[in-house]
Amino acid sequence: MSGHTAQPPPARPAARGSGGRAGTARKKGAGGAATTAVAAVLFAVPVVTALFGPLLAPLAEASGPGAPYALDGRHPLGTDGLGRDVLALLLRGGGSTLGSALGAVALAYLVGGAVGLAAAVSRHRWVDELLMRPVEVVLPIPSLLVISLVGVGRHGNAWAVTMAVALVNTPVAARLVRAAALRAAAGPVAEAMRMQGESRLRVQLGYVGGSVLPVVAADVGTRVTGAVFTVAAANFLGLGMEPTAPDWGVTIAASREALLVQPWSVCAPTAMLLMFTVGLNLLGDRLLDRRDRRPPGDRRDRRARVPVARKEGRT
Amino acid sequence: MARHALRRVLLALAQLVLLAVLVFLLTSLLPGDAADVLFNDKAGTEQIARLRHEMGLDQPPAQRFLDWAKDLVTGDAGTSLTGGQSVSGIVAHSVGATALLAGVTAAIAVPVALVLGLVTGCRAGGRLDRTVTAVTLALSSVPDFVLSLALVAVFALKLGWLPSTWIGATTGDLLTRPGLLVLPVVVLLARTVSQLIRQFRAGTLGALNSGYARHARRLGVPRTRLLLRHVLPNAAVPGVQQLARTGDALLGGVLVVEAVFAVPGAATALIDAVRSRDVPTVQALTLLLAAAALFLNVAADLVSHRLSPRVEVLR
Repeated sequence: MSGHTAQPPPARPAARGSGGRAGTARKKGAGGAATTAVAAVLFAVPVVTALFGPLLAPLAEASGPGAPYALDGRHPLGTDGLGRDVLALLLRGGGSTLGSALGAVALAYLVGGAVGLAAAVSRHRWVDELLMRPVEVVLPIPSLLVISLVGVGRHGNAWAVTMAVALVNTPVAARLVRAAALRAAAGPVAEAMRMQGESRLRVQLGYVGGSVLPVVAADVGTRVTGAVFTVAAANFLGLGMEPTAPDWGVTIAASREALLVQPWSVCAPTAMLLMFTVGLNLLGDRLLDRRDRRPPGDRRDRRARVPVARKEGRT
Repeated sequence: MARHALRRVLLALAQLVLLAVLVFLLTSLLPGDAADVLFNDKAGTEQIARLRHEMGLDQPPAQRFLDWAKDLVTGDAGTSLTGGQSVSGIVAHSVGATALLAGVTAAIAVPVALVLGLVTGCRAGGRLDRTVTAVTLALSSVPDFVLSLALVAVFALKLGWLPSTWIGATTGDLLTRPGLLVLPVVVLLARTVSQLIRQFRAGTLGALNSGYARHARRLGVPRTRLLLRHVLPNAAVPGVQQLARTGDALLGGVLVVEAVFAVPGAATALIDAVRSRDVPTVQALTLLLAAAALFLNVAADLVSHRLSPRVEVLR
């Protein structure tokens, strides 16, 4: 027994010394894969719920309305203050929150990206100034203020919330894209392409436009999370949709006084929001990690090779 | 420095004017103006037309904007459509609580984030760094209103340690009942501090790895002196700039926190005004809150310029 326990210690330093690095690297890889899987599941559940929930909601509503804040067998997650089935609300409520947020970010990148790219590749300084000055004016306006301004005239409208969130995110997107495009346009690759006599369109749209994409991809995760927060907060505060609309934020706000009586009515939509944002944040971090873990110099090499490799592939 | 400050302040004034135009455009040019709201669609068209004339709503938009702006400059923001009180009175009455919340939050957030950011940046990868990073990442995935509800459920409803609402309390009561402040400020701190720590930490890392820090180390500059004299001012720059952008998170947080805890502040007044479509109050309050965000922006820009003059303001 004592002989057995005496043996391992000398083996341990050896293992740490030789295979230690590989071991931890492997462990990190396995842990990374597990985290990625968990993140993907966290992210997928609310997205699938939002996409296919409305199709399944009639099944949950089949048992009919119940008593307010009831927790009986007929309703798996109980009912809300109006006696509606919480599961059905959950299934129907994802589209407005996630749809508004994603739509707003997409719109912000479409408009802001075009403005930023145009400002960066323009040969005239005044175009840049004209496009970017207004952006700087709008930049410091807090998002919920814009929503309240828009909300005062168009109450209970998911479109108004989407437009307001897009309006807030557009300047940020424009600045980000402009900065990334300027960096690429001033870089050696763009210069080499210009010297090779590539057309202006190809350099600016093909190369500069393309090199902006990784920057945008890295930013989209945080931007969507922020948009989901803003949309949910707007609906929670009653600035967005009607107080009876089936929306996660609205449901949380409407049932919050019954938190201890009927916890599901608050916790279920909250869990959906949390799963989405945590999953998205983790996935985004994974992506950035993978990009950063590449050996130094690799990124520049790959970028430098792009136009040339394309040419070789064609001939 | 003085010239720079002057330019920055002039830009801010221009932004404020544009902001006023934007606020007016978004609220006043909507279908369904104040006269419709006052009469709630019940009065005859003749009556509405007369009221519209009395309120000056039949004037062209540009004239109305000038009238509104002129009154605003003289401190008269109009009359509330719902209560009939003067809007300036509503603003003056509600602003104290909001300023107090934001001020206390900022006073705690900045030193805490600066110290934690510096410490974690110096020992990147250490246990404290990993803990802080994990906590800030987790906190930034939780929407403000979810955090508020969770804290209320635990500390106010379950444990009964802290009051869950300000109903019945006024700003003056805070001196006798400081417990009122704890939960709202904790919620506001969660988001702001985690954003700031991340920036201060990144700034510290960048400054420590820079050429001048390496050179100073080679010259034998003591570590404390290196950290305080050379690293800290440069490390603080991204954090201070983040502080400007924190205005968004802080104001959004204030809206949510005031709504959840029923704080009698500007944000509660704003949400009430949006719900009742009280346009003059919404205009005054959004302009005030946006101006506060703008002021924060200017202050942060000036401080970061003082810390590291090479940072350009406009780009």
